[in-house]
Amino acid sequence: METDELIINMGPVHPSTHGVLRFRLRMDGEIIKECTPVLGYLHRGTEKLGEMKTYMQFIPYTDRLDYISAFPNNYAFVKAVEELAGIEVPLRAEYIRVIVMELNRIVNHLVSIGSLLMDLGAATMIMWGFRERENALQLFEMLCGARMTFNYIKPGGVREDIPEGFMAKLNEFLKDMEKRIEDYEQLISSNEIFMMRMKNIGVISAEDAVNYGMTGPTLRGSGVNYDLRKYEPYSIYRDLDFRACVRNECDSYARYIVRIDEMKESLHILRQVVDTMPEAKIVSSAKYGIAPMTGTPSAVSTYFPRIFTPPAGEVYSRIEAPKGELGFYIASDGTTKPYRVKIRSPSFCNLTAIPKMVLGLKIPDLIAAFGTIDVVLGDVDR
Amino acid sequence: MSATDELKQKLPAAVVSTGMQGNKPMAVIKKEELLNVAGKVKEMGFDHLSVITGTDYKDHFEVVYNFYSYNKKQNLVLKVIADHDKPEVDSLTSLWKGADWLERETYDLVGIRFTGHPNLVRILLPDGWIGHPLQKDYDMNTEQFVTIGEKGEDIVSTDGSNLLRRK
Repeated sequence: METDELIINMGPVHPSTHGVLRFRLRMDGEIIKECTPVLGYLHRGTEKLGEMKTYMQFIPYTDRLDYISAFPNNYAFVKAVEELAGIEVPLRAEYIRVIVMELNRIVNHLVSIGSLLMDLGAATMIMWGFRERENALQLFEMLCGARMTFNYIKPGGVREDIPEGFMAKLNEFLKDMEKRIEDYEQLISSNEIFMMRMKNIGVISAEDAVNYGMTGPTLRGSGVNYDLRKYEPYSIYRDLDFRACVRNECDSYARYIVRIDEMKESLHILRQVVDTMPEAKIVSSAKYGIAPMTGTPSAVSTYFPRIFTPPAGEVYSRIEAPKGELGFYIASDGTTKPYRVKIRSPSFCNLTAIPKMVLGLKIPDLIAAFGTIDVVLGDVDR
Repeated sequence: MSATDELKQKLPAAVVSTGMQGNKPMAVIKKEELLNVAGKVKEMGFDHLSVITGTDYKDHFEVVYNFYSYNKKQNLVLKVIADHDKPEVDSLTSLWKGADWLERETYDLVGIRFTGHPNLVRILLPDGWIGHPLQKDYDMNTEQFVTIGEKGEDIVSTDGSNLLRRK
């Protein structure tokens, strides 16, 4: 039978594109012959803004890149600044940073898995995911007053020490979360319909995944054992016991399982951090001539100069954000503002591979594969 | 032996100078030799192209490539200097498919052209956009108005005339 090819636009406003993203699909009947993502609907010129703001002023903008997991964004930029200026960070601040980043990883994966399941037509998981996410957001709120855009991690430390009652609530969360993850697994992981939708869908080999520059859970789902926390350790990850979660199936199901496993590993990391949390000051002060702060809350707003000038030079620093490798390239000319800020966002680079992953599949499979890549459009378009 | 030394030994004519980018070894290489050097770098085991950054330094452009080797767990940085009047460097899409969008983005925002790129069009900004925002002489004061035309193409104007339905 003779058939005509058809061009379909999926998006830019579509519930399963998780924001404003358009797929231009060339279809032969139900089969995708070509998939072209069209980006830029959420482009806000963040890199240009970086050149126009001082280092401290730019930190809130990083929150708005990947707004599901804003702490790692904060940290990635701050880490680049610290490397550029050679700022030492006190141990307690590093512990707090790891706590918030790992909590944020759990939050990110809950949202990711929840919205994946919702796109596939199962509504329970997003309710459950958001229920647990709420507990984590309340912890964030205790810490810095914000629930999504934190502006909490600053060069040389964090903005405020953890408040009273935080640790008790965190322990409660950890205990609760352990059981919840078991529930998720019982609900989803061996669900027959889910497996039929996910297995052998959106397959990308390890070689291709590396060649396309995929990182994070999407790379580890393709059998590449690589985690920046493990192999290029930053902060205190060197001293912590955890493993990189890897699966060899290379398909959507593998990427989903990697995320579930990573949540468990995050809990494991958090338990260690809670147990060994040192009592000490939370901000670095030696270099910038400000009196040392002790670990008391709220006494801190001036510990780090609002305007400071790092030495001229360039630096590229990257971290393992929940979605993959998040890197900031900063070129400084020795003034109060960066000369150039470049954001290497995991969502953007992981999305590069989607045309390859969905070739020859059907539109519902595109949704499944795209859901497991886990992009946030603020991070793609910047 | 560091990766930059190895590179210098293998391709002495291509390497202009070596140095450091933070804690990562960096080699400044000749623009004409980029594709050649990148091929060699890939052979040396640097399989992950992490990021491509273009920067406008007013009298020249710099393009920085950050590589990483998953096996050796090593970083390597390549830097190419392009003319300011006609910024053109070779595309690495034949070696890394991930370079495709990174190069398009660099073209879109910084204005560096990558010769040999299969589809070098804007990726974040609309097609008819005037100027490249990350160039230092980009006009920040002129507003640009974007609408969608009959065939789905982007129409850009600086006076907003395309916003009016009736002419």
